[in-house]
Amino acid sequence: MTDSSTSDIFNGASNNNHLPTQEEDVLAALRTLLFNPEQIETSEQQTGEKNTSPNLEEDVLEQLRTLIFSPDDAQVDNVQQQSSQKNPAANPDEDVLGELRSLLVGDDYQKLTKLQERLDDPKLYAADLSQVLAEAIILRSLQDQQLAKALVPSIEEAIKVSVRKDFKILANALFPVMGPAIRKAIASALNVMMQSLNQTLNHSFSPQSFKWRLEARQTGKSFAEVVLLRTLLYRVEQVFLIHKETGLLLQHVVAKAVTTQDGDLVSAMLTAIKDFVHDSFHVHQSDTLETLHFGELTIWIEEGPQAILAGVIRGNAPQEVRAVFHDAIESIHLEQSNILHSFDGNTTPFEACRPYLEGCLLVQFEVKEPKPKNQKLIIGSVLGAILIAVGPWLFLYIRDQQRWANYLEKLNAERGIVVVSADKRHGKFFISGLRDPLAADPLMLISSANLSPAQVTSRWENYLSEAPKFVETRTKQVLQPPQSVSLKVDNNAILYATGYASAEWIAESKKLVQLIPGVNKVYLNIVDTDLRELESAKKKIENYEVHFLNGTQLLPSQDSKIQSLVKEIQKLSNSAQSINKGIRIQIVGHTDAGGSENANITLSQARAQKVLSMFVSQGLKATNFTTQGVGSREPLPDNLSKQGKIFNRRVSFKVFLTDTLNRKSDQR
Amino acid sequence: MIQKKICMVGAFATGKTSLVERFVKSIYSNIYHTTVGVKIDKKLVKFGEQELNLILWDIHGEDEFQKVRMSYLRGSSGYFLVVDGSRRYTLETAFSLQQRVEDAIGEVPFILILNKADLIDESEIDDAAMAELSQKNWTVIKGSAKTGLGVEEAFGTLAKKMLEA
Repeated sequence: MTDSSTSDIFNGASNNNHLPTQEEDVLAALRTLLFNPEQIETSEQQTGEKNTSPNLEEDVLEQLRTLIFSPDDAQVDNVQQQSSQKNPAANPDEDVLGELRSLLVGDDYQKLTKLQERLDDPKLYAADLSQVLAEAIILRSLQDQQLAKALVPSIEEAIKVSVRKDFKILANALFPVMGPAIRKAIASALNVMMQSLNQTLNHSFSPQSFKWRLEARQTGKSFAEVVLLRTLLYRVEQVFLIHKETGLLLQHVVAKAVTTQDGDLVSAMLTAIKDFVHDSFHVHQSDTLETLHFGELTIWIEEGPQAILAGVIRGNAPQEVRAVFHDAIESIHLEQSNILHSFDGNTTPFEACRPYLEGCLLVQFEVKEPKPKNQKLIIGSVLGAILIAVGPWLFLYIRDQQRWANYLEKLNAERGIVVVSADKRHGKFFISGLRDPLAADPLMLISSANLSPAQVTSRWENYLSEAPKFVETRTKQVLQPPQSVSLKVDNNAILYATGYASAEWIAESKKLVQLIPGVNKVYLNIVDTDLRELESAKKKIENYEVHFLNGTQLLPSQDSKIQSLVKEIQKLSNSAQSINKGIRIQIVGHTDAGGSENANITLSQARAQKVLSMFVSQGLKATNFTTQGVGSREPLPDNLSKQGKIFNRRVSFKVFLTDTLNRKSDQR
Repeated sequence: MIQKKICMVGAFATGKTSLVERFVKSIYSNIYHTTVGVKIDKKLVKFGEQELNLILWDIHGEDEFQKVRMSYLRGSSGYFLVVDGSRRYTLETAFSLQQRVEDAIGEVPFILILNKADLIDESEIDDAAMAELSQKNWTVIKGSAKTGLGVEEAFGTLAKKMLEA
């Protein structure tokens, strides 16, 4: 120990400008020597006095430390070292040491002692450690993997021990986790299978597969999924939640319109069956009854640690239904774990499980379709299906085409209609052409061809057809002939008119016929009805004969004859006048064959005059009459018998019609 | 709703099924039906406000060929030991069954029914047997499925015991 070194130490310790007293200085120096020897070494290096006061001082300091802080050890050491070494501080009074201790470290020593005790006592140490263990583990885990590595063997061993002791504990703990994990693995395995199935099925070809493919595309499912789905038909009719140990029914749901037995009994019986199977066939403890088949009924049982879920299914359900069951029983266990554990027969809390059970009431219907037995049938069915699919359209298309052709044919055959263009665009028919107004109505033809008028758009321009039929009709329309006239137009467009008509009509027609289009030539052979009437009246008059007794004496009955004769002549005269005709009546006197001819001529002349005078006396104009006596030169056939002679003594009439104007009868 | 599982155990032809029929349907038939496996019935009983749904497991009778399956008793809240009063050995069977049941499912309430009490003349339960019974300190009820004697009492007592247990 040197002054220089001490002063150095003081300098080092008085950084906070503290001015120590003498005692305190010594104590501080001692503290430094005892607790911070490194500082002294540093100062020694600075003064360049290496190894000048080495081990001796160090040993003394060490001994002092031992005496002060571990008095028991120090005493033992001192006994050993007494003979060989001179120690100034050997065997000091314990009180002195205690005082020195309290001077040097004060309260800190008490604290140190307590700390030591805590470290030495395992219970206290464990309690201390437990305070920081969790944080320590977290901190270490953040740093590296060493902790995990170190724990592996212990944990493995712990699991082994747990399983040996009671495997159910671990199984029950893992149950909610294992299910989803396993299903996930299986689902991915199934996925791969589905894909390969897809490839296989891609090559298959059937009408049904075509349909399914379509469905797959529409629904976004894989083809195989659709195939599996479509071949299944099932309905989950009832779901039971059963307490595993007691077989008591916890909850029961039933699909609509399903008749059921008493759920309590079914539940218990199902449990009994399970037990029976278990006992009877010596199966492994962990094996469970999973499926019961009875006709088309299947009971699927999903077992959890405390409860089982049983679904009664009609038909053939896919495995995904089982997955739904599994999910349900897992969820129920997760949520109702406590109630399940402490179940004492009270089923009311399990009302909460109803939604899970109802979620299991799944249903799937199959669309039944006949399956083709071989390739030919398949192709046949495909064609059939195509035919069925496009058949109605094809039928309508062909039918419409036929009707259209039929319509065009009819139009073309029709006189007075000229089709210029016929077309079909966007399922509609378009037609344009020329049409005589007298021709048939094309719209009527549309209906008669069974086409809908809405389907056909028509455009018709009017024209005049020269077909004889139309020329004839047109002529009739223009001339308006009376019924007694018949008009005909031949292929050379010559109009033949025959029959009777009034002179007026005839005259008018002659003018109009020139204006009718399509008539090249006219042959009129029409009898003037007025003339005809005159003619008959004339004949009627000419049939009259006035008979005489003797000389110019009329037979008594002839007066009335004269009367009616006068009327006829007046009528004829009037009629003739109306058509600008004149009449001239020749009154011819006759005698019988007796007597001389000269006398007879005279007599016959006198008889004619007699009748004329009678006519005039009746008001007829004498200018219209001429008289003539022909004696017996124009006798009647019987001129010899007495009766014949009487008939020959007569007056006959000849009527002549004359044209008063320049009117000429075509007849003549 | 509280549900409890009850089992009927005993030697064969002691009248377990008849007791259940009498209790559940109030009928009795002379025709003997042997129970194969297990038959299940239920009955709703009321204790004041409390409704108790008893699920009755009528287990086949025990004989030398067929032992009662203890798995059927699992989860039982109580059981009946049925003894045919006219056949002494059925009491022995009941003793052994009781032991086995207790081993399998632990201590749960039970009642011993001395059935066929209507056949007084044929009773084989002598004083010695009765002494043995009273020594065990069990609840014993004399009953008859035929007359209905003791049936309601037996079921009611067991139901109460179960609720108290």
